[in-house]
Amino acid sequence: MRIRILGNLVILASTVALSYGMQVSKPHYADLTAPIPVDGAMRDTVRARSFDVRLDKVVFARALKTNQFGQERSLTTSGLWAVVSTNLTATAASTTVAEGTWQGPTGLRYHQTERLGYRQDMPPHGVDPGLEKRGLFVFEIPPDQIRGASLLIAARQFAPLDAQARISLDGVPTSADGQPADVLPEFDLDAPQAHTPQGKS
Amino acid sequence: MNAVSTGPIAGEDRQPEKKWRRRSLVALAILLPLTLAETSNDSLREWLHGEDLIARDVDFGQAVPFGGSDWKLADLRGGKAGRLPDHAFAVIATFSVKIGDPDLQKQWLGCKLMLTDAAGRRWLPDAISGVSLPAGVMSCTSAIFSSARKGDTITIGDTFIVPEDAVKTIRPAVGLGSERPWFLRFQRPPK
Repeated sequence: MRIRILGNLVILASTVALSYGMQVSKPHYADLTAPIPVDGAMRDTVRARSFDVRLDKVVFARALKTNQFGQERSLTTSGLWAVVSTNLTATAASTTVAEGTWQGPTGLRYHQTERLGYRQDMPPHGVDPGLEKRGLFVFEIPPDQIRGASLLIAARQFAPLDAQARISLDGVPTSADGQPADVLPEFDLDAPQAHTPQGKS
Repeated sequence: MNAVSTGPIAGEDRQPEKKWRRRSLVALAILLPLTLAETSNDSLREWLHGEDLIARDVDFGQAVPFGGSDWKLADLRGGKAGRLPDHAFAVIATFSVKIGDPDLQKQWLGCKLMLTDAAGRRWLPDAISGVSLPAGVMSCTSAIFSSARKGDTITIGDTFIVPEDAVKTIRPAVGLGSERPWFLRFQRPPK
């Protein structure tokens, strides 16, 4: 009888130990259902589940010029503006691509800016199958978050187990100190070069 | 856990306990799947009612009851018009609908006009600058609030942007909240 009680106690203790070990070592539920990354490089077409995306160009600037309600505004930042132009297509059905995140080399994540308000070329991008569309994602980032960064693009902000394009930004030229090689003093979002009509890249 | 609770039990009582243990195991095998089905039932139903999954094909010229009203494809036309991307066409699809149940806010909730092609791709309506709907044609959403009465015939339509390679096989389709997962897919008008 004593052996039986002892045995049960051993089983109980090992169950507790195992449960605790699993609790501290196993991934969190949010990580288990996190978006599934699809890796790619700049200028490659990355195929996520509901859309295809190709990163064409990254421009860095110290200020952004934009037209809002007929008024010209210049948006400054203590860091840098990164204007990312992408080419988007839906795979099977018309959908929207709404979520862009700049992930720095150490894993810091910068959500796309919301300072620009509503613009046609800013997210959410409505995309259709077979039709290419140019879409911008604009970020405000510290200059030390550029080398080794990657761009995350997803259809929605909270989309468990949906695909997320993860595009490595290794193709961005940087100087020895990690600063981007080319920084414009001001980037005009409404300038003609930023305004190629829908469908052209 | 139950290993602990089965501590000091006399030998003659062990037989029924064994039997119950076995019964519990069997019950688990039945109850677990049942619980799973019950808890996922709501999500499954919600998902089915939100997706256009099963097509009901409709011949051209035929009117089909759908969401309490009779739907008929009135016209499907495409061409180069307005400001369009390269290799793309503008398409206007219109339906003639005879209202049966006038409670459109209930019957037509989540109304969706679509175009589908042979490969199964789907396009939702798009605004095209320079192209507007013909006079008297309403979008699905504005029809819901048009206070149309029983017996009225209204024309519903929308504009789409479709790539060149899909135009030849394009077919209009309609999905309504009250009918999902079924949706109507219409044959193209004869040339």
